[in-house]
Amino acid sequence: MDTTRNFCIIAHIDHGKSTLADRLLERTGTITERDLKMNQVLDDMDLEQERGITIKLHAVRMKYQHSDGVEYTLNLIDTPGHVDFSYEVSRSLNACEGAILVVDATQGIEAQTISNLYLAIEAGLEIIPVINKVDLASAEVERVTQGIVDLLGCAHEDVIPASAKTGIGVEEVLTAIIDRVPPPVGDAAAPLQALIFDSVFDPYRGAVVYMRVVHGTIREKEVIRFFANDKEFEVEEIGFLQRGRHRTGTLSAGDVGYLIAGVKTVADTNVGDTITHAKNGAPERLPGYKEVKPMVFSGLYPTVSDDFEDLREALSKLHLNDSSILYEPETSAALGFGFRAGFLGLLHMEIAQERLEREFGLSIITTVPNVEYYVVLKESLERVTIDNPSDMPEPGKIDHIEEPFIRAQIITPSEYMGNIMKLCMDRRGIYHNTQYIDPTRADIHFELPLSEIIFDFYDKLKSVSRGYASFDYEFKDYRESDLVKLDILLNGEPVDALSSVVHRQKAYDWGRRLCRKLKDLIPRQMFEVVIQAAIGTKVISRDVVKPLRKNVTAKCYGGDITRKRKLLEKQKEGKKRMKQVGAVEVPQEAFLAVLSMED
Amino acid sequence: MPGLYVHIPFCEKKCIYCDFYSIESFRRYDDFISALHREIDMRAAVLPDDIVFHSIFFGGGTPSLLTDVQMGGVLEALRARFRVEADAEVTVECNPGTVDASQLRGYRSAGVNRLSFGVQSFHADDLLFLSRIHTAEEAEHAIGIAQDAGITNINLDLMFSLPGQTPERWMYNLERARDLGTTHLSCYSLTVEQGTPLARMVVRGMVAMPPEESDAELFTLTMETLEGWGFRQYEVSNYAREGYACRHNLTYWRHEDYLGFGPSAHSTWQGRRWWNLSSLDHWLGAVDEGRLPEAGGELLDRDTLRREYIYLRLRSEGIDLVDFRRRFDADLVRDNRAFIDRCFAGGTLRLEDDRLLLTREGILLCDEICAELE
Repeated sequence: MDTTRNFCIIAHIDHGKSTLADRLLERTGTITERDLKMNQVLDDMDLEQERGITIKLHAVRMKYQHSDGVEYTLNLIDTPGHVDFSYEVSRSLNACEGAILVVDATQGIEAQTISNLYLAIEAGLEIIPVINKVDLASAEVERVTQGIVDLLGCAHEDVIPASAKTGIGVEEVLTAIIDRVPPPVGDAAAPLQALIFDSVFDPYRGAVVYMRVVHGTIREKEVIRFFANDKEFEVEEIGFLQRGRHRTGTLSAGDVGYLIAGVKTVADTNVGDTITHAKNGAPERLPGYKEVKPMVFSGLYPTVSDDFEDLREALSKLHLNDSSILYEPETSAALGFGFRAGFLGLLHMEIAQERLEREFGLSIITTVPNVEYYVVLKESLERVTIDNPSDMPEPGKIDHIEEPFIRAQIITPSEYMGNIMKLCMDRRGIYHNTQYIDPTRADIHFELPLSEIIFDFYDKLKSVSRGYASFDYEFKDYRESDLVKLDILLNGEPVDALSSVVHRQKAYDWGRRLCRKLKDLIPRQMFEVVIQAAIGTKVISRDVVKPLRKNVTAKCYGGDITRKRKLLEKQKEGKKRMKQVGAVEVPQEAFLAVLSMED
Repeated sequence: MPGLYVHIPFCEKKCIYCDFYSIESFRRYDDFISALHREIDMRAAVLPDDIVFHSIFFGGGTPSLLTDVQMGGVLEALRARFRVEADAEVTVECNPGTVDASQLRGYRSAGVNRLSFGVQSFHADDLLFLSRIHTAEEAEHAIGIAQDAGITNINLDLMFSLPGQTPERWMYNLERARDLGTTHLSCYSLTVEQGTPLARMVVRGMVAMPPEESDAELFTLTMETLEGWGFRQYEVSNYAREGYACRHNLTYWRHEDYLGFGPSAHSTWQGRRWWNLSSLDHWLGAVDEGRLPEAGGELLDRDTLRREYIYLRLRSEGIDLVDFRRRFDADLVRDNRAFIDRCFAGGTLRLEDDRLLLTREGILLCDEICAELE
């Protein structure tokens, strides 16, 4: 155990985490340069590579010969790099004793870096600061190093200058991991406690669990139990990861590896849960487990209603891979049969939607995302959970509504502070405080309603700061807010899928902008389309799509008949892609109109 | 009853808006005439000879480029090979700039009894814009000599919604056409067809097409005016004095069979449609080798026929619901109840003697309605 080191890498997007990981794997001979050319090894989902983010956690074992002549086992545990996945990050941090903090010498410290760093410090990890990309002309090594020193309270010489691209400093990083990160402590003879920090779905083997054995020893053929659901399974295979699975048959305290036990779905293998033996197991689970709760909800509907069963099938397959996606069937008067799905955050939602379209070839309509509200009813004072605005009770029956608030951290060059303050205030933010990381960079803290950031906040933040500000958040609590349900009516018929919950003071402006946007998105048709926004029975805004005046082919003779029929078929196809709401044809984009509203 | 169509693919000058197949080179004109005879022979050989045709239509291109002798020869061939009614309607499309009196007298004696002149406008600047080769005076003159030659069943093609066209200027065209004693008018809204010089001009911003509203306004004005003068609108773009509806074109709109000859001509025959090679060279090549010069075809299944029937009938005489039920074993109104009710309420469709018809407002939205009916 003394020769084992478990560590992870913390970095902001594009600061060089994957490149550094590749270099470490290469230097330790774990993989070859040729493998690397294929792709960056840690990110093996297409989407991850395209978006430059890591969604899923993995763990790789490396061997390294230290200058003391001893061969060490280094386990690199990957962490996801986005705000939506902070709980998953915290679990993988708990599987380590040390963390490499990578900061881009041309960029400096970002919000995500800090929030993940705090999680790492909270988990008691030894931090090895690395300043990356020092070879670039635009590198500000001095300033950024000072920022790191101020943040960590470490010595200047503790910060390792490196360039993952050219290989500068990689050897030093490996040495530092061995010298500075403490070896795992744990009792291989104690009752088994293994921390699940991830699981993936293998279509042939079922769930593959990635875990860190904290105490005890686990062997194949043993019967294990998951604390979260009390389910028991017989271990089929155990080993570690290194360019694929390496079977060892056993893992013990301090080890990181995988486990296959005939678990049919990853929903049974909860991140943060503890594995123990069914017999003579540990009496308690490891601390810090919580059930992952979706924060953002949206309706998912097949564009063509015949595809409903295909969508169900696709969602269930997606759920096998990613149990944090929750879904249940719902019906919408406007969109027909579909599902209400819950996601960890907006990015998580986008990724899921994209996978449904890309991997399963489905065409889906998504409704405007919303958060989950607690509605306290009059008289009974019953507290009901509402994750779909159209389910909101009538205003007269509501005592009050509570909505989730988050604690937001924004790091920005100080010249954009004014813009950012304004943006946050516009989003009903409550200002907390500002700290300075260095003389030019501010770390601003706000509390914001989650509903105000689940769409376009991040884009707006980037645009008011010319792309420099970075942002991270965590859930804080539920608070009472003066919220109302805003309905959209087309020719007098409410369209449930377009309902939203907004703050009363913003409702008028919101309604006006939404009507105008819908007017742009709904094409002229045979009949006039009246668009109204209403709170309860009170109409607060109105727009009209004037009816089409003329659409008729002038010439249609013998040689035109086939061509004309094909044109009409095309027109029919186009109509099919739209949703029929009453007599009104509504294009798919309209259901996400809110997202593209102009100020 | 079925009709015969002959496509003459030559033009002295191609108009900027035209997307029919035609060429400006006359190099293979003589080859074309003899090949046309061969195609007629070949087609006749593979068809039963007991079908009676009631119309012949020469379209183009510019069919009036044919001399009276050539015209007579083709008509003779058609009558020899197919059973054509003695009093069949025989129409020739004419460019007003390409006809003379003796030619039209010759046409008359060859059996031509209807002429369709592509006049388009009586305003010199419109004709210039449309790149027509004739003048307003030539058009009037041509109609005069046609009537003198004894061909009194005369159609004029006129075009509205030209860029910058006012209702007054359009009314002037309609009045001149009426005063010439025509029996039939085809009034087309200028349509920008892909691949035409006009389309390129619009894309480059050299020409601004009138907005939908004024297009609709001119169309409505046309319908009202011509009805007031005693012309009956029997198809979206076609108006006729009583008894002068074009029998040949009704063949298309009634979904009846027709045979086409010449490059790019279409035929529909007993549930099959085919179209000839459109390039003159390819068409000539096939005929020379003794092959039917077909480029492609399709079988019209009942669903396809039903869809075509709906839009062809709706844009002309309306859908006879009894006939529809007989042909397709379906109740059109019941199958589209909600939509048709909305159209009744919105004043775009009406029902008359078991016939579903477009109203004047409905004619403006014909394609929109056809795309909804199933």
